[in-house]
Amino acid sequence: MPDKAAVASGPATGDGASVNPLRAGLASDQITDPCSVVFFGASGDLFKRMLLPAIYSMRLRGTLPADFALVGFARTPYSDESFREYCRQQLDLFMPSDGKPQGAIWEDFSKRLSYITADFNDPRHFIALKERLVQDDEQFGTAGNHLFYLATPPSVFPDIIKHLKSSGLEKSATGWTRVVVEKPFGTDLRSARALQKAIEAVFPESQIYRIDHYLGKEPVQDIIALRFANTIFEPIWNRNYVQHVQITSAESLGVEERGGYYDGAGALRDMIQNHVINLLALVAMEAPIGSGADDIRGEKYKVLSAIAPPAHHAVWSTSARGQYGPGTIDGRAVKGYRQEQDVAPDSNTETFAAAKLYVENWRWAGVPFYLRSGKRLPRKVSEIAVTFKPIPHRFYGESTDRIEPNVLVIKIEPDEGISMRFEAKVPGPKEHVRSVYMDFSYGIGFGVQSPPAYERLIGDAIVGDQTLFTRWDAVERAWQIVTPILEVWQNTKDFSFPNYAAGSQGPESAFSLFPDWRHL
Amino acid sequence: MNLNLTPIFNELNALHRERGCDAHVATMTLVVFFEDQQIGKLARDRIHRLASKHPSRVVVLDGAGDPSLDHVEPGDWIELGVHDGEPATLRSAVEALRLPDVPLDLLWIAAGIGGDQRFEMLSEHAQMIVYNSSLLDAGHDALCELVEYVQRHPQLPLADIAYLRLAPWQESVAIFFDGKDAEELSDIRRVEIACGSEPEAFYLLGWLASRLAWKPLSTTSLVNRYGKRIDFEIRREGEPRRVSCIALSSSRSKFVAEVDTSAATIQLSVTGSSKHPQRYRAVNNPGIAALLERAILWGRNDRVFFESLAAAGEILACRKD
Repeated sequence: MPDKAAVASGPATGDGASVNPLRAGLASDQITDPCSVVFFGASGDLFKRMLLPAIYSMRLRGTLPADFALVGFARTPYSDESFREYCRQQLDLFMPSDGKPQGAIWEDFSKRLSYITADFNDPRHFIALKERLVQDDEQFGTAGNHLFYLATPPSVFPDIIKHLKSSGLEKSATGWTRVVVEKPFGTDLRSARALQKAIEAVFPESQIYRIDHYLGKEPVQDIIALRFANTIFEPIWNRNYVQHVQITSAESLGVEERGGYYDGAGALRDMIQNHVINLLALVAMEAPIGSGADDIRGEKYKVLSAIAPPAHHAVWSTSARGQYGPGTIDGRAVKGYRQEQDVAPDSNTETFAAAKLYVENWRWAGVPFYLRSGKRLPRKVSEIAVTFKPIPHRFYGESTDRIEPNVLVIKIEPDEGISMRFEAKVPGPKEHVRSVYMDFSYGIGFGVQSPPAYERLIGDAIVGDQTLFTRWDAVERAWQIVTPILEVWQNTKDFSFPNYAAGSQGPESAFSLFPDWRHL
Repeated sequence: MNLNLTPIFNELNALHRERGCDAHVATMTLVVFFEDQQIGKLARDRIHRLASKHPSRVVVLDGAGDPSLDHVEPGDWIELGVHDGEPATLRSAVEALRLPDVPLDLLWIAAGIGGDQRFEMLSEHAQMIVYNSSLLDAGHDALCELVEYVQRHPQLPLADIAYLRLAPWQESVAIFFDGKDAEELSDIRRVEIACGSEPEAFYLLGWLASRLAWKPLSTTSLVNRYGKRIDFEIRREGEPRRVSCIALSSSRSKFVAEVDTSAATIQLSVTGSSKHPQRYRAVNNPGIAALLERAILWGRNDRVFFESLAAAGEILACRKD
């Protein structure tokens, strides 16, 4: 059955039945269709830490459809009963104290959980899944609506997609079918295209939800509000006033238990190609004509298509890479990347990546966008700093004063807010000026806790809203932008690695690329 | 009575100087009016909680307090005793004390809005007025008064805590009629509501009536657009301000949402031709501070609220007649 939510704006009506007039004006005015959610990779880390708590929290908040079932599908052997017990234990660990699994809500939720011990390449297990979904439709009233969530390593995505098709699960006779694909979407341009080819052979774009949980974070969505719900920023949001833009996503953590995955990925693939480039798109895009999924996604794609990938010969002058060695963070000695678990002792993988890109359009011509992301930097911070041009003529202030350019910082993590640097006169008889910061914190300003990103995004997938999911053209374009850098880096053994100490500001090469990075 | 605000401004300035370089954000000026000291004590506690989340200038107008007790507390909290205060005096004090450029919201926790000039004057410049029709009385007098006031001032930006409290129940009832079960709505024949206070019960009934175009027929019945009669019964039982059950019956099915013994969960059951496995929702009863927050942040221009209020008013008027 076609996915009505994807083809028509407005509330999903699921099976096309009458619209419920009682929904108007309620918090859940978009009818949340009854549905079954199948989590491929349900014994993995992502499921237990993020996805299961998000689903249970939705149940507690009442944003999950009352007619709901969850099927876990993974290699680790569980029975339905032991899977329920496993889920209870994980929720006990990962839910806050007021959300622990207990009482009638948990009893009701747990009986809707089931599990299939499966090999992702065995068609028989997909037939078993199909039978389970039919059973759930009957038992829990899930109306043939199926959300398939691919939370497995990307290497098995094509197998899952292939067998969803071979078992006839790619469509439902009575409801909708959607597939959520976790990042990374491919490991390079070629593999991303291959994956897309495999998926689009089975599902149309309107049924594919490429998730990047970063986009579900409230401050990321606030970028659009800041830019387009205010008049004071837009007139100066261009090459006439902006000197450069810095986008930073820094972590103080190392690779923790993800060494195996990370060593095959690196910072460019793990962060720049998706999170950071998505932030760039939100900062640089034109105003969409509406708030529909494709209005916003179309503008994001347009701005990405205006970014010229660096030429191979220019990669070293427009990018910088690094790998952390041993060092100290928060007064604690930490080991170097090559000493981390599951990392090759001579690894050539970068844990820090920086790049200078230009958006070659009327608004942004000549304005450099500096992107950086790294692990084991002094602190966790995600932010976008827009630095404005210096004043055109100086007549005020003592000659020894330094008049700094204005900076607007959109803070995403860990503090969510906006700060502005401007110059002010120092009180007294002299005309001294110095920089002051004006700070706005969403937490203080509104004091409202926004739902975690996964909760928001799973809810959007269930109601069929693709706005916060990345469209294929944007994914492909982001890969095209980073491909020359990836290719040059991959083909160059970096003998300087490790080239920055854990807890430092990053490698020297980053400061050769751009000396004015904001201090971390 | 005249208010002397000079000492208040001096105290405010002194506190601002003490605060020094601490960043300051203000999201609103919140004016609170009450007359009952017991309610005032509770209100202060709730407002403190709200203001700690949403930095605000709070102006407490203590309708029973003496002006000698006027003072300023840290956090831009201003206390004024306004016993015997003239309406115009109160308004001018609020105008002088409000912060420019942020909304002014009024929390009115007193009876008699219909004929109270103070309410009229204070509400004139408020961007949001928060009322609580079930705070002082479990009966429906305050709700009737609100209905009349809103009829006279249809543009009033107002939210009623008693209505906002119903959100989990509205969501629960709505769940029954998603998808093909929406058709059952035109066949509803009976509604029973059990609640500890009448405003919540009439709001719930008014909400159904406004959504489904039901009109009052008699003191205990309504009629739908197809001329079918819907009997209703409101039972006052359980804790004040808490709904304990709502049941809707059609000719073929019965839809019941009721709290379980833990009072933490709403059980949703459907019997008859639309029979459905039992479902559950967390009650999630929000506290007053959370409801206030909801009213201030999202309560403005809630069309469904005003329509529900009007429908509740029609039902109550029919009972009065």
